[in-house]
Amino acid sequence: MRDVAVIGAGMTPCRSRWLEKTQWELAQMATAEAVKDAGIHVDELDGGVVGIYNDIFEFQAIPESGLQGIIGLANKPLKRCSSGGATGAYTMLEGYTWVASGLYDLVLVLGVEKALDCYDFEAQSPTPAVVQTIGYSWDPWFERPLGHHASQSYAQVVAAYMDEHPGDLDPTVRAKIVELLCEQAQSNPYAQRLGEKVTADQVLRSPYVVYPIRKLETCVYTEGACALIFASRKMAKRIQKRTGRDPVWITGVGAANEPYFVGRDVNRFKVLHRIYSDYIAFQKALKMAKRSINDIQVMELHDAFVPQLMITLAEAGVVPLGHANDLVNEGIIMPGGRLLVNPSGGLVFGGHFVGGSNMMSTWSVMREMYSRGFERGMIHGTGASLSMFGVAMVLERRV
Amino acid sequence: MANNKKNWVIPESMWPEKNIERVRGRDGKDYLVQNDVMFTGVKHTRGEFSRFFIELCDNARILAHRCPRCRKIIVPPSEQRCPQCNFVEMVEEYVRDVGVMVATPVITAFPPSRFKEEIPFGSGYVFLETNGGGLTDQALAVRVKTTAGSIRPGIFTRGTPVKIVFCHERLGEILDVFAVPQSELTPEQIARSPLFEYSLVWTDAAKLAASDEPVFKETLERCVRLFCQLRDKISLSSRARENLKGWLRVVDIKTPGGSFQLRFYTESFVVTRNPENDVQLTFIINEPELLLNWLEDSMKGENEKLESPALTDLVLEGKIIMDKPELETINRLDRIPRSLRRDRVI
Repeated sequence: MRDVAVIGAGMTPCRSRWLEKTQWELAQMATAEAVKDAGIHVDELDGGVVGIYNDIFEFQAIPESGLQGIIGLANKPLKRCSSGGATGAYTMLEGYTWVASGLYDLVLVLGVEKALDCYDFEAQSPTPAVVQTIGYSWDPWFERPLGHHASQSYAQVVAAYMDEHPGDLDPTVRAKIVELLCEQAQSNPYAQRLGEKVTADQVLRSPYVVYPIRKLETCVYTEGACALIFASRKMAKRIQKRTGRDPVWITGVGAANEPYFVGRDVNRFKVLHRIYSDYIAFQKALKMAKRSINDIQVMELHDAFVPQLMITLAEAGVVPLGHANDLVNEGIIMPGGRLLVNPSGGLVFGGHFVGGSNMMSTWSVMREMYSRGFERGMIHGTGASLSMFGVAMVLERRV
Repeated sequence: MANNKKNWVIPESMWPEKNIERVRGRDGKDYLVQNDVMFTGVKHTRGEFSRFFIELCDNARILAHRCPRCRKIIVPPSEQRCPQCNFVEMVEEYVRDVGVMVATPVITAFPPSRFKEEIPFGSGYVFLETNGGGLTDQALAVRVKTTAGSIRPGIFTRGTPVKIVFCHERLGEILDVFAVPQSELTPEQIARSPLFEYSLVWTDAAKLAASDEPVFKETLERCVRLFCQLRDKISLSSRARENLKGWLRVVDIKTPGGSFQLRFYTESFVVTRNPENDVQLTFIINEPELLLNWLEDSMKGENEKLESPALTDLVLEGKIIMDKPELETINRLDRIPRSLRRDRVI
């Protein structure tokens, strides 16, 4: 396989609702920014992949069709990816494959999502309708009729983990992580919750969304877009001569999806107290990059819910399973700690436009690499019922 | 058993009116938003799962599939062939209606649109017993209920023995069954198979309240006074009035110090110590100071430190016990303090 570099990134601001923009305009804004950042002309692109999670959010089936000309890919290949919450990361994996396989040299990797157009006319609020729309991701025979949905499903994994590891995922530790993410988001100019201040005390007093997860521990619903430009080594070097900027290399990729149904054998079923897909994805990505988790300096992880983020960090090997409280208590992810986690504010404060959130993670890791001189980072995406989809990638500045 | 009642899949109250409205963007310009809906009627195929649901509906039995090679047994019978054994055909096997919780179930307070009328509700996963004495390898997702008030933490945890109860009226869907803790049943009920919903003894929520104790009377009186003050503040706040708009409920609040009633009507409520008998919902609060704390917090201004959790939390933590799962009144009350602050009424 060929080496793959990320040579440019472009973001729109994250907003809970873009009354002023459709998904077409958001996609074009991000693509234009990425092309500019990469120092290329859009005509140089060989094709693109686009992450769009949910047709209902876009109010259109095959919503990618409208993007084709708008993002400058007339008569070129454009493939849409949709893989639940991990749509962004899986789209990146697809773009990586297009370049690594030798098929294409320069590929647009775009993620875009509307969401808050969904509206519950009875409650006169978008939120129940957004939750319902995501709830359509559950099977229609056995689980959706029970009212299963994203918060409920992740809360079930959290509750099972807490059964297995009593005392871990301590509420005060979780609240401190929320406070930390809020502080970190303030340096992300595109963050949805820029200017907000949330304290640990407020987190502990916020109401439960689904017991045992509180409102301020959850990600936000977001509309926005992010675009990345992936390049082969040959193309990256050629463009580097133009721009004078080092590319960031994708040196390891890993992905795994757990089975849908819950059971007792991790090789056959989803085991509730694990996010085993994350474990496999991190292991594979690190092995491919010939790195250990201790080599990683910055991570942007998919924090749909803060206690899930803690489990994910344990599955990644940052701390042992059952010792996620150490992330805070030992100062591992706190200011001055050995690992910078979600400097963008993550999905909780930065924003979660599902199709592109994981591209935002990549944009953030690249930003930290350039600004702080980090050499190695990781990004991660999870999604679907019970957090069963997992994707991880290792990013490095020098190879 | 067939249900002859005519129920609409989409309630009329959720239908959008045809309309295009102008809204102001952040840039000060006008933009259009159009009411619409992705509308597709569906006659949804149950296909190979029909056997499982027909058994639930007609015979109140739970059908599983077992792999004859690896002996793994799965319920629901979601696969016809065992993927671990290179797709060996699985065989049908009935399982028992008792089992254990795989993990602590979760309780939903903020639901999808179509479940707004059912909150709070609990759901979890159950390993059912096989007739050979073991447990299934795959877990069944079910609603979990208690016979004593609304669902709350502490009733179920990992390993809690449960009994699957069959609804009296069954349609052939997963909601035809639910789980209750065996600890709330008699040995005869646990042994009976199938156990129908009408055989359960649903504890009268009113009996959960402790009897009148003088020490709590003062707290009760303060709660009543503060509810009256809250009502007066609501009348000054358009947002708070909006929170209660269209809400009609008669709610009994029972505490160890006595009872009172909140009668909600359009945009407000009446507080009365002389309850009438048209009660639609009952809250049991054995620690009335928790309600008092919430009421005191609801009168605090923007920068004052709040002490009380949301009422929603008090329900989910079992501090407020409801006689039926209907969180809407609580949710609406919880929105009021923020509305009062935003309208600078307090």
